[in-house]
Amino acid sequence: MGLCHGTLTAISSGPPLEYFTFTNGSTLVSADLPGASLICLDFWCRGGSFWEQSGEEGMAHFLEHMVFKGSERLQPGDFDRQIEALGGSSNAATGFDDVHFHVLVPPKETSAALDLLLDLVLHPSLDEGSFSMEREVVLEEIAQYRDQPDDLVFQKVLERCFPKHPYGRPVLGIDSSLKGMNPQGMRRYHQRRYQGPNCCLAVAGAIPTDLISQVRGSALTALSNGADPSLPNPPGEGSRSTEQLPFQSGRECHRFPRLESARLVMVWPTAAASDPIGVAGADLATTILSEGRRSRLVQRLREDLQIVESIDMDVTTLEQGSLVMLEACCPEEQLERVEQEINQELLRSAEEPMLEEERSRALQLVGNGYRFSLEAPGSVAACAGSQAVWGRQRQLLEPLNDLELWSATALQEQVMQRLQPDQAFTLIARPAETT
Amino acid sequence: MNGITELVIDPVATTGVLSAKLWIRRGSGADPLGQRGGHQLLGSVLSRGCGPLDHVQLADLVEGCGAGLRCDTHEDGILVSLKCTQTDAERLLPILGWMLQQPHLNPAQIALEKELSLQALQRQQEDPFQRAFDGWRQLAYGQGPYGHDPLGVPGDLESLHHDHLIALADRLNDGGSVLALSGTLPEGIQTILQSYEESGRPEKTSHSPDWTADPGQPDSSLTLNPVETEQVVMMLGQATLPHGHPDDLALRVLHAHLGSGMSSLLFRRLREDHGVAYDVGVHHPARQHSAPFVMHASTGVERAQLSLELLMKSWEELLDTVIAKRDLDLAMAKFRGQLAHASQTTGQRAERRAQLRGLGLPDDHDRRCLDQLDNLTGVDLRTAARQHLKKPTLSLCGPSSTLNRLESVWGNGPFPST
Repeated sequence: MGLCHGTLTAISSGPPLEYFTFTNGSTLVSADLPGASLICLDFWCRGGSFWEQSGEEGMAHFLEHMVFKGSERLQPGDFDRQIEALGGSSNAATGFDDVHFHVLVPPKETSAALDLLLDLVLHPSLDEGSFSMEREVVLEEIAQYRDQPDDLVFQKVLERCFPKHPYGRPVLGIDSSLKGMNPQGMRRYHQRRYQGPNCCLAVAGAIPTDLISQVRGSALTALSNGADPSLPNPPGEGSRSTEQLPFQSGRECHRFPRLESARLVMVWPTAAASDPIGVAGADLATTILSEGRRSRLVQRLREDLQIVESIDMDVTTLEQGSLVMLEACCPEEQLERVEQEINQELLRSAEEPMLEEERSRALQLVGNGYRFSLEAPGSVAACAGSQAVWGRQRQLLEPLNDLELWSATALQEQVMQRLQPDQAFTLIARPAETT
Repeated sequence: MNGITELVIDPVATTGVLSAKLWIRRGSGADPLGQRGGHQLLGSVLSRGCGPLDHVQLADLVEGCGAGLRCDTHEDGILVSLKCTQTDAERLLPILGWMLQQPHLNPAQIALEKELSLQALQRQQEDPFQRAFDGWRQLAYGQGPYGHDPLGVPGDLESLHHDHLIALADRLNDGGSVLALSGTLPEGIQTILQSYEESGRPEKTSHSPDWTADPGQPDSSLTLNPVETEQVVMMLGQATLPHGHPDDLALRVLHAHLGSGMSSLLFRRLREDHGVAYDVGVHHPARQHSAPFVMHASTGVERAQLSLELLMKSWEELLDTVIAKRDLDLAMAKFRGQLAHASQTTGQRAERRAQLRGLGLPDDHDRRCLDQLDNLTGVDLRTAARQHLKKPTLSLCGPSSTLNRLESVWGNGPFPST
């Protein structure tokens, strides 16, 4: 990779992150934002759908729901009432790799919120009655998802890219596996994944001076250090190299009911989250191709030819290997032309030198995207926690340095030449024919 | 364009970030007859050439700075949002003034945006929630200003041309506008803002709230949108009050009680007690005129009847029951918490400031609401509900056989005679 002199305007330092690792392997990361009116406590665990075994499909997400149904100390609904009575809020999200649970409260309530959150997440009651009721809610969530054609297209692409990998399965699971689950199995999953080395607490806001001692005396540090070698998926297992991701390239056409405009979706594997420089290259390349009216694909297909309603590219950063996804929405009759033009632009990007001004523009857009996303305590905690839970102890704005390492030539040779049609999985999604 | 542009400056210590929000007091609610979608189309072309920059030069400048510039048309106004670093503000802030005062309205750019809008409108129909809300909005507001999606309706959009947009642009700032800046302000901010017609707050606000607008009574209380989905989406609601109306605070507390957070009544009742829905809540945005107050849920066909009955029961309780002290205290705590949650970023702060001025409300409106909160009682909430929530209407979207069944459930309930 060619080393470049930076052109980013005034990289500000951002709030510094402080890391602390406890003896059981769990981590605390904090960002002091002294003027913030709310503090965010964000618990992260390496417990996403990737870690589910046969028969557990959907367990990680279902467990996320069940956590909010009470603990050994808290009755169902108590946690929500108590947090919201403090003027706070809570939520959670499950991904392929990890899951996180977060609360936002006024700073003076930090201690109470910490106690409530960790009790809820680490000692869930998994009550039989609540289990059956909440399963119905999850089944409704899946039904709601199936009523959105856009989501069905997205799921179909992943299913075809990763036919033999957990990334090809819906995080929400499938009806049949959910109906076969019971609280005992969920308890085993919880014990297997929620262990010290797999867990991290990220805190952002006006940090109390005794935060470390508060956490040291909490349920987080009472977790097992996961030393039992007989456990499958030993805790602490982290990212793998991109080459291990069993990605399936190809091209398929499918029809979807109630789709009102056609879609063309392309997916490529790219650097895993553990390779931040590689991810930065993918971010820059996709920005050059499709961020803003002056990006190559938007300018060509939407502005000049006017054959798409929208065309976007995104990098989904994942631990086992990240994904670059391209989605174009267009009238069905334009599909052939759209695919042809996209392929030509991608080939041109691989063959022709990239302009320095394109690189500079992408550097500003991606760099400011980072800066602008770090205003709220919730965003800062999520950014810090999502890295720290995987053992990456970096400062918030370090990704800006990664961006600057990429020269125009390196982007062309090392990224654009991989984002080619023959290396992608392409899905053509057409509206179902009406009867 | 005779209106003034009021300025609101909100310095905040940041890592060099500035958010600017320009609120222009003409939104889709001001679309002329036969031109629904006109203001959205106008808004979308404001950034496609203005002042000394054509559409390419403008994109080069904004994107070259790594800034964000977008224009969203709402019912009551057009909101132009700019987010940039402090160091780029001097070059970028003048764009907002040019968009307002010197848009190019290039016919080729209008044609492009019109086509994009038509395609977006078509794609919206994939979402059953959008379909259900479209139905409810039509039922509640009819041909009134809030009766259509800000994107417009296809027939009207297709007939819009360059001349129409010139006429709309001529009146764009008739009602005035507000520019709010939050974040790290560049040195010489006053010089940068000289292009605006007035700086600082005018002695008397040029725009005062209008609390008289009433959408009138809907012709029917039910609308059905048959579509072959797994779930039925239900929207039960009423056109209510302008933001800042004396009874608005009571409705906002009811909103917090019913639909804010996992301790809310609808969440507890539909999700925790019966497990019939995943996504439940209340849609109650701030509006200049009669704002929607809509409960929504989506449920599989087998249990859709139970969901509808629970929504109807929850609505009926607002009219018949005085909220328990414990629930009232919780709702008030949530209302207070929401204000803190909604002012975490410079973008949120600038937008709220622009919105308040845009609606003709004082800058300290939220603080005044907090002061009044402790005086509200459960009886006050019921009184407000009886006055403003007594005639809800229902929109359903889902499989036709289930809708027919639910139609009779609605017919036998307490509200169908609207």
